[in-house]
Amino acid sequence: MTALLTVEDVFAAYQPGVDILQGMSLTVPRGGLVLVIGPNGAGKSTLLKTVFGLLAAHRGAIALDGKPIANLPSHEIKRLGVSYVPQELNTFPQLTVEENLKVGGWTLRREPARLKDRIAKVYEIFPVLAERRRDKAGSLSGGQGRMLSVAREMITEPRLMLVDEPTVGLAPNLAEQVYELLQTARRAISTTILLVDQNVSDALRHAEDVVMMNLGRVKAAGPVGEFGEARVRALIQECLLG
Amino acid sequence: MYSTELVVQTFISGVMIGVLYALMALGITFIYSIMRMINWAMGEFYMIGSYLQYMLVAWLLGPDLWWLAILVATAGVFGLGLLTEWSLLKPISSKAAEVRSDYATVITLALLLMLRSLATGIAGPNQFTPGSNLPIVMVGPMPMAGARVAAFVFALVALGVFWAVLRYTWYGLALRATAQSRVGVQTAGIDVLRVDRVAFGIGVALAGLAGALLAPVFLVFPTNGLVTTVKGFEIVVIGGLGSIPGALIAGVLLGLIESFGAAFIDSAYQNIYGFVLVLLVLVLRPTGLFGERGREA
Repeated sequence: MTALLTVEDVFAAYQPGVDILQGMSLTVPRGGLVLVIGPNGAGKSTLLKTVFGLLAAHRGAIALDGKPIANLPSHEIKRLGVSYVPQELNTFPQLTVEENLKVGGWTLRREPARLKDRIAKVYEIFPVLAERRRDKAGSLSGGQGRMLSVAREMITEPRLMLVDEPTVGLAPNLAEQVYELLQTARRAISTTILLVDQNVSDALRHAEDVVMMNLGRVKAAGPVGEFGEARVRALIQECLLG
Repeated sequence: MYSTELVVQTFISGVMIGVLYALMALGITFIYSIMRMINWAMGEFYMIGSYLQYMLVAWLLGPDLWWLAILVATAGVFGLGLLTEWSLLKPISSKAAEVRSDYATVITLALLLMLRSLATGIAGPNQFTPGSNLPIVMVGPMPMAGARVAAFVFALVALGVFWAVLRYTWYGLALRATAQSRVGVQTAGIDVLRVDRVAFGIGVALAGLAGALLAPVFLVFPTNGLVTTVKGFEIVVIGGLGSIPGALIAGVLLGLIESFGAAFIDSAYQNIYGFVLVLLVLVLRPTGLFGERGREA
């Protein structure tokens, strides 16, 4: 498979002089689901923010389909077909479900027919959102809110979805539903997913490739078959013990 | 004696001035809800709106085209707001979120001093009034200055347009969404810095509109924005910082309290009644009538 996203030797910091990403490199194949794992503070979420342009990379290169995107503003990266689902519920609680989906389709606002079709398609995939289209997003349950967060990013049918800790704080049965949700999104719009998750054992069942991060760079990477439970535990111990 | 007629007159007068105060408060709270910063120079944009109205009516358009002057003055303040945001506030958007509002405070306080000194230097300490040939209008049993009634009607129309833009346009949707989650709109592909610029322009344009509308009533001079700004902040505290409905309702409430206080207690303390209400709200509901706890977090 050809690479959709390549990250090469990227350095990024929230404060000058304190790099969180310290030479991070990875490749995400087109159509794949790559899982990024690692201990707290490894730089996993920072990696997604940097790819999406919410944080500047002061060194290194990031390319989408061969086109450099490092340090482009996030609204331009979005237009190139990248979506970002942050860790927190990414909804607007005082807007209705339908208004939330419309905001998700901002880049299609000048193509009303296309936008209407895309919203209808999302309602087909997630009928519960269609039922509650006129309700405020703040009135949705946690699981429905998560569904809306993902659905909102599906409206533009992105080539690449960056998904940050989608199961954090959720009960195990809800976490499994979220993984199913991501797989549904992936099948429905043929997207590629770069997933950051702490819920390693469950996430591994859905991934094809794994990247383990530590101290802002890659500790280990390869197909999911190489990341058995024992090896992951050993790698994490190595990271924590230095 | 407390006659029904006096109560009705006081009520009408209070609502009319309250709606105009609400314009100012709406500008303050609108900018805060989008940009998470207080614009301390709001009174100076009010002052510029009033000077523009005076200059347009007195020198260019004449009193018959007062309504056109108001539109041009408001548009002028909107343009100045865009320029101010682009030149002074946008550069701090790259700073850490926790220090951004501190920078904004310093910048807008400096802007306040600069614009006030500039107005004093150019126009002097004189008071001006744009001429108005609008006749006295009977509002129920009460004769009222045409300029005041026109200001009230214009303010109502402006509030209606503001509401319609927020409710029915794409840009309004983006503004409402930005007020709830800045990261959320960025993930949607919305240029949040452009939203900031437009929000700042609209916010100061509301202050400029209030200045232009009240120019024939409260006169035009370099510090004429001060009292209205203080009232604007009183309204924001009463209604709740960041709440648009709160600004409108609290504006009318403040107008009514001032009006009834002046009519039935003592007009000398007109500006004190609002402060009493502010203190009561702070004691009983510190987040304001419609505010949310920790909204700024």
